[in-house]
Amino acid sequence: MDTSNPAVLVNGDLLRSYVGRRVRTVVQVVRPEAGGLTGRSTDEKQIVVKGQMPASLTTFVEVIGVADSAQSIHAEIVTNFGDTFDTSNFNQLCQLANGDFRHLFI
Amino acid sequence: MSQTVTVGAIMNIVSDPNPDPSAVASDIVLQVLDLKPAGNRYTFNVSDGKSKLKAILPSSLSSEVVNGNIQNLGLIRVTDYSLNDIPNKNEKYLIVSKCEAVSPPLEAEFKAEVKSENAGIVLKPKQEVVTKSAAQIIHEQNGNMAPTARMSMTRRVHPLASLNPYQGNWTIKVRLTAKGTMRHYKNARGEGCVFNVELTDEDGTQIQATMSNEGAKKFFDVFEMGKVYYISKGSLKVANKQFKTVQNDYEMTLNENSQVEEAVNEAAFIPETKFNFIPIDQLGPYVQQKELIDVIGVVQNVSPTMSIRRKIDNETIPKRDITIADDTKKSVIVSLWGGVSLSTVSKSIIEINPNSPDSQKLKSWYSSEGKESNMESVGSTLSPSMKSGSMYADRVTLDHITSNPSLGEDKPVVFSTRACMSMIKTDQTMYYRACKKCNKKVTEEPGSGYWCQACEKTESDCRLRYILSAKFSDVSGGAWFSLFSEEAEKIIGCPAEELDRMKSQDDSSDFQLQVKKATWVPHVFRLMVAPREYNNEKRQRITVKYVSPVDFAAETTLLLQSMKA
Repeated sequence: MDTSNPAVLVNGDLLRSYVGRRVRTVVQVVRPEAGGLTGRSTDEKQIVVKGQMPASLTTFVEVIGVADSAQSIHAEIVTNFGDTFDTSNFNQLCQLANGDFRHLFI
Repeated sequence: MSQTVTVGAIMNIVSDPNPDPSAVASDIVLQVLDLKPAGNRYTFNVSDGKSKLKAILPSSLSSEVVNGNIQNLGLIRVTDYSLNDIPNKNEKYLIVSKCEAVSPPLEAEFKAEVKSENAGIVLKPKQEVVTKSAAQIIHEQNGNMAPTARMSMTRRVHPLASLNPYQGNWTIKVRLTAKGTMRHYKNARGEGCVFNVELTDEDGTQIQATMSNEGAKKFFDVFEMGKVYYISKGSLKVANKQFKTVQNDYEMTLNENSQVEEAVNEAAFIPETKFNFIPIDQLGPYVQQKELIDVIGVVQNVSPTMSIRRKIDNETIPKRDITIADDTKKSVIVSLWGGVSLSTVSKSIIEINPNSPDSQKLKSWYSSEGKESNMESVGSTLSPSMKSGSMYADRVTLDHITSNPSLGEDKPVVFSTRACMSMIKTDQTMYYRACKKCNKKVTEEPGSGYWCQACEKTESDCRLRYILSAKFSDVSGGAWFSLFSEEAEKIIGCPAEELDRMKSQDDSSDFQLQVKKATWVPHVFRLMVAPREYNNEKRQRITVKYVSPVDFAAETTLLLQSMKA
């Protein structure tokens, strides 16, 4: 398992603190685009994803890639996460993983 | 990095009008003055305490003004800019292409202190002091502005999150998001009246405020649901966590010296009560928890008014049950308690036909699908019978049960838990022969079949029913559970007959595989615990009443709740 470049779990708000770093997040697909998609983060912020997409997209996708800016990610891996996803749980996970429990993560 | 205005920064900007973004001086903190909208951009003046410059905020940064990050009299750190000449005028203007808010609005325009060059004492000539009344000063400052606009100009509003018991000089601007009823009480010290309210400011921070006696009488009619108020001269104390319904470490008390002033024309200022609606089919994890939740639904049924007598004071309270349903096709009963109008229900807010996007969505769902569909009560998915209870109530880890051998001594106790089967002894008797009619144990009669004592009949064949014990484990440890019939079948994954068939094969690999597949699969259990005597030894007997699959989202919500507590 390659642990050389771990991805930080982020939501819309946290993305801006990790610009230039490798991040991972789950977004709701708002609009697929050429070469990417526009997504809504679990804290209701817009995130633009650029990169190679799977042939068909489910409602939620996980994106792992490098944060281009506070609102965009250059994706390396995009994975379909299905049509049901508990956004509130994931959002709290991001907050805890970067807050009180960051010592358990990267 | 400094949090105050960089005096002299404007001089540096003028001398370097078009810097390379990476080469912008590290600390240019300026104050925003005269902030005005201009189309979809904002114009303002920047000040470094000594000089000022006209400035423009490009439309890409307009959102920072709209969301309140950049405000008039506030400080910004400019990280990228360009200084251009205004055509035909001997003036320049600054395009602030990148900046970040550094400080909320200051009390007034920042002016750099002029250092006196003179040593020694300088006697200033006595200046004529013209006394003005406070009202005169305010009037001069603000001209003919409306009274409440004046108030917002002269008052420094503090965010609710910044309030603490050690600093009394604050004013807050809040919307009343809940109003309790006036409660009258009698205690050893006499009689009194008290009521509380819930206040929300524009950041969404909430706080409960209580008023009693004189304060209560003074403000009860002033406070109206949904209106915005400026409040000052209240006091704060640490909140009693047992009774709090809002997320705040403190609660506020207002007395007759406190000030509460309504802010008119502020309808758009503070967001409306933000509801976080839980879909009805996801209410499970919240059963018997202390957390208050929001639900939205279409009224399906309204019961007649019942009268319930309260044991404590023998007072009769009216009650009605309404059934509401939402687009998850599940319904739930909402019990409404209390007085004449719905709004007197103390902690809950009920909005009838609210004008919210959630409400619109629900209305359109109902008119298209909802009217026809048969709603299933959400309680029916939570447990098979009322007796078993919810899978989320009385949740424990296994050590809670095993560490207390006398649990269930008087009356068996019931818990719910989430665990995996960790071990099963395959050489035990795993099933018994049961009567097809009454499920009781039958005795084999060679040649004729099976005799059922209860039915007093011999049948040619019988049914196999599970009766087994297995060890289950969770994060805290393990315990042996007794399982029967349908619940055991959910764990093993096949009916007893099929398992017997696999077991009696020469090659028991199918059987081994079935058992192996059943281990380390998480389930949620409803357990009954009671002590039992076994060969003069007191043992704990844990019986599985019900098994259900793990709803990971619900379990996560439960975990998060217990982490917050």
